[in-house]
Amino acid sequence: MSEVLFELKDVYYSYLGKYPALCGIDMTIAQGEKIAVIGANGTGKSTLLHLLDGLIFSDRGQLKAFGIPLTEDFINDTESSCNFRRKVGLVFQNADIQLFCPTVREDIVFGPLQLGVKDDEVQQRLLEISRLLSIEHLLDRVPHQLSVGEKRKVAIATVFAIDPEVFILDEPTAGLDPLTVRHIIDLILQANQKGKTIITSTHDLHTVGEIADTVYVFDEAKTIVRQGKTEAILSDRDFLSAHNLVHVHGHTHEHQLHVHPHLSLEKHSL
Amino acid sequence: MSRAFHIKSNFIEHSLIGAVTFIKDATLCEEHASHKGFLQAVDARIKTMTFFAFLVVAVSLKSALWISWIYVSCLILAVMSQIPLGFFLLRTWVFIPLFSFCIAIPALFSFVTPGEPAWSFYFLGVKWIITRPGLDGAIVFVVRVATSVSLVVLLSLTTRHTQLLKVLRLFGVPQVFVLTVAMSYRYLYLFAQMLENILTAVKSRVGVVSAHQKGRKVVAWNIANMWNRAQQMNEQVYLAMLSRGYTGEPRVLKGLPL
Repeated sequence: MSEVLFELKDVYYSYLGKYPALCGIDMTIAQGEKIAVIGANGTGKSTLLHLLDGLIFSDRGQLKAFGIPLTEDFINDTESSCNFRRKVGLVFQNADIQLFCPTVREDIVFGPLQLGVKDDEVQQRLLEISRLLSIEHLLDRVPHQLSVGEKRKVAIATVFAIDPEVFILDEPTAGLDPLTVRHIIDLILQANQKGKTIITSTHDLHTVGEIADTVYVFDEAKTIVRQGKTEAILSDRDFLSAHNLVHVHGHTHEHQLHVHPHLSLEKHSL
Repeated sequence: MSRAFHIKSNFIEHSLIGAVTFIKDATLCEEHASHKGFLQAVDARIKTMTFFAFLVVAVSLKSALWISWIYVSCLILAVMSQIPLGFFLLRTWVFIPLFSFCIAIPALFSFVTPGEPAWSFYFLGVKWIITRPGLDGAIVFVVRVATSVSLVVLLSLTTRHTQLLKVLRLFGVPQVFVLTVAMSYRYLYLFAQMLENILTAVKSRVGVVSAHQKGRKVVAWNIANMWNRAQQMNEQVYLAMLSRGYTGEPRVLKGLPL
């Protein structure tokens, strides 16, 4: 059996101590797994990803990462924090937050340099990743000059450069054109084939079948209402509909109204 | 609706659009840095060192005439670097009153700089005396500020900001300071863009950005909103830095191409 990387038991988190964001979360994530966290807006998906990345800490319950409790004290210790950051990389939902350096090149090398990777190795990774993502021509550009798709690719590159064991991706395909979505999914799948663990938060159920073997569904009570194999959850239309993850979509074929359930929550919501 | 009323009602709109455009143009426009002019062809390190030396000389000299020669050289360099003279003068003389007049004007008078009277007049029942040393000092001060601002503006117009940041690193400026400047620069553009989008959104709904009191309320509300967004983004960016291993002492790649 694969090594357990993350173990959450009855985890609670609230903002400012009074606005609940996660309530009683139990999860186990093993090495090499592909996990998707789905749910309507405001159900606590991004908060969960920030908890898994050790950026915020639970109010109650226990969260273990690589067998060690992921606490504030653990992250405040420079060596422990550095080891953890080398193993876990988070791609933020907003690429403008992730890209804070003056050029794309400096953004890509920022992570590995802070984590003590030697300069030669960093240069090597920069070349490989920029080639892999086809962003060589963007290296000396300033991030604010990039398109949304380019920014997202560069944001992913900044995490690929760290070469972590676990990739945490917050809405990696939201608002992108189909070709860029395909490219990003292929990158995620390639990383998983190399043994990387993938944890993705997404609204786009069309992509979940490819990027996840296991799905956790969050509801408005900020808790997991269901978890299981991707096929089983995606085929349960009544369940998805009850949790605002699918809606009836109507359009015409040859002047006749045709109605069917639609999987993508964001793209067609009114 | 009369023309006067229309102009008045759009005053806030024009001011806001003007402010956003100025921020974007003044700080982020790299159009001139990409021209094939004289200064653009000079290595950023040499250029920065030379301009720094000019600045030291301009600050050290006590003769307005000698400082003026540096100012004239600066204007000649601007023309040789394909920067339109009118644009350059406008850009520099926007800043000069900010830096100089509030210091230079009081220095003209005898109560700050005593000496031989050059001219006097009565205002508010008080005799105001402009002294010769005060006048000389104020002229030297304004010329010095004009020259210094012109040198800095010329350097920034003819050099890409990413190169300037690298030069700061090469000159041993602490990395935390360089990173802070770089991030401020980066997010200034983002907030200017956000402000522009907000103006467009308001305009698309109500036709004009502002109309009298209601317009001022909209603007005040948006300033507060921008403040909140900036605060949130500040926290998020810090988390993004922590997530990639930042511990307070940034490390950079040696030998990044210049």
